[in-house]
Amino acid sequence: MDVFEQVKEAICKVQPGIDAEKITPGASLTDDLEIDSLDMVELTLALEDALDLRLPDEELEGIVTVKDVISLVEAKLKEKDA
Amino acid sequence: MPNRVVVTGYGAVTPLGLNVDDTWQNLIAGVSGIDYISLFDATNFNIRIAAEVKDFDPVSYLDATGARYADRFTQFAVAASLQSIDNAKLKIDDDNRYDVGILIGSGIGGLSSLSQQVEVLNRRGPDRVSPYVVPMMIPDNAPSRVSIATGIRGPNLSLSSSCSTGTDALGIAYKMIRYGEAKLMIAGGADAAVTPISVAGFSQAGALSKNTDPKMASRPFDAKRDGFVIGEGAAVMLLETLDYAKARNAHILAEIVGYGATSDAYHITHPAENGEAAAKAIEIALAGIDRSTIGYINAHGTSTLLNDVSETRAIKKVFGDSAYCIPISSIKSMVGHMLGAAGALEAVVCCKVINDRVIPPTKNLENPDPECDLDYVPNVARDSDVYVTISNSFGFGGHNSVLVISRYAEH
Repeated sequence: MDVFEQVKEAICKVQPGIDAEKITPGASLTDDLEIDSLDMVELTLALEDALDLRLPDEELEGIVTVKDVISLVEAKLKEKDA
Repeated sequence: MPNRVVVTGYGAVTPLGLNVDDTWQNLIAGVSGIDYISLFDATNFNIRIAAEVKDFDPVSYLDATGARYADRFTQFAVAASLQSIDNAKLKIDDDNRYDVGILIGSGIGGLSSLSQQVEVLNRRGPDRVSPYVVPMMIPDNAPSRVSIATGIRGPNLSLSSSCSTGTDALGIAYKMIRYGEAKLMIAGGADAAVTPISVAGFSQAGALSKNTDPKMASRPFDAKRDGFVIGEGAAVMLLETLDYAKARNAHILAEIVGYGATSDAYHITHPAENGEAAAKAIEIALAGIDRSTIGYINAHGTSTLLNDVSETRAIKKVFGDSAYCIPISSIKSMVGHMLGAAGALEAVVCCKVINDRVIPPTKNLENPDPECDLDYVPNVARDSDVYVTISNSFGFGGHNSVLVISRYAEH
């Protein structure tokens, strides 16, 4: 599964009522997917569990879109492999 | 002049059905909603029975995301509230959304969500705890979610008085409407505490029946009773001023005509044996009402040794010899003890008794207890043309709460 699919799966897990079609790389977490600050913590916990990594709070600050999440996760996965 | 307060709708999620009608039909038929615990593995527990709500789908009331972040007691509360609004054919819009308040109590709150997250905390550490644990755990999440789901913007509150919760929520809502604090109130109670810690705790306190036969364990007023059976669910009423109900041509189901509440000042779990403060609560609720009109008492009737005797004494203290002529029943024989929801469902049952002219029985009343010698409508429902009813609720800590609900008549 590529990282986009994994992020999408995590979003569907924490927002089970969401229309999965809306989850695109360009989608804004807040405006398009209605992910609020509580949901963002849930999403982080879900991704951390699924991918066995840590996403520190301070690195989540600039996150706006699904693509931003993907980039952060990719960077963390790379760090883990290194 | 204080406002007259009428009931125009109700909703319920109970161990005997996912709405008021199914629950009522089962109560009249004497069906038991008690069975073996399925919500958790109770193999190592000395108590393995409960009155659980079955086949409830929260997604039909809250969508999938909303349901995921609502504790089971809140899910029940939202379902019962939406049913009550639908039943009352009330439209909530910009003209009235600030006129409607919500008061849904819970005796326990989101214990199941709290327990799960305590386990996460202990096993995996503080940074794995869900950010939703606080909103899911707090008792007022139920009325808040009802507000969010309906667009109601009046006061939105919870209340907790143990097993009196549902009756007190309705009583306080009645007072708020009566004295002009709100025109309409969505009021009732919800609890979902069939959880390991709660069953263990109630059991250790000696409150639960050790009878292993689910259908026979809850036996209010019977000589062989030995405790209550824990239940869960929610019940909610829509109350409004008579004027508001008339103006919108609402169908009036009943009128709330009295509420009384007192405290035993005695013990944190036991009721006062003489029933003195409980009798006082009934008397306060009956102020100004002709006692000879009382045609039914919905008892608290928990099936504990202590409650059923002290409640009987309280009723005798108030009514003297005429206590023997008033039909009394406890639906806890069938739905178990729904804790904070119990009094609210029992108030709904009083409305059904008034309108359907039939009294649900006290099941499993087979062995007379000399100290419980009133007419408890044993085992079989009874036809009766009842005008005025009393609903009693008593709770851990010495709460005594009583509602008087009457058939609606113009004068």
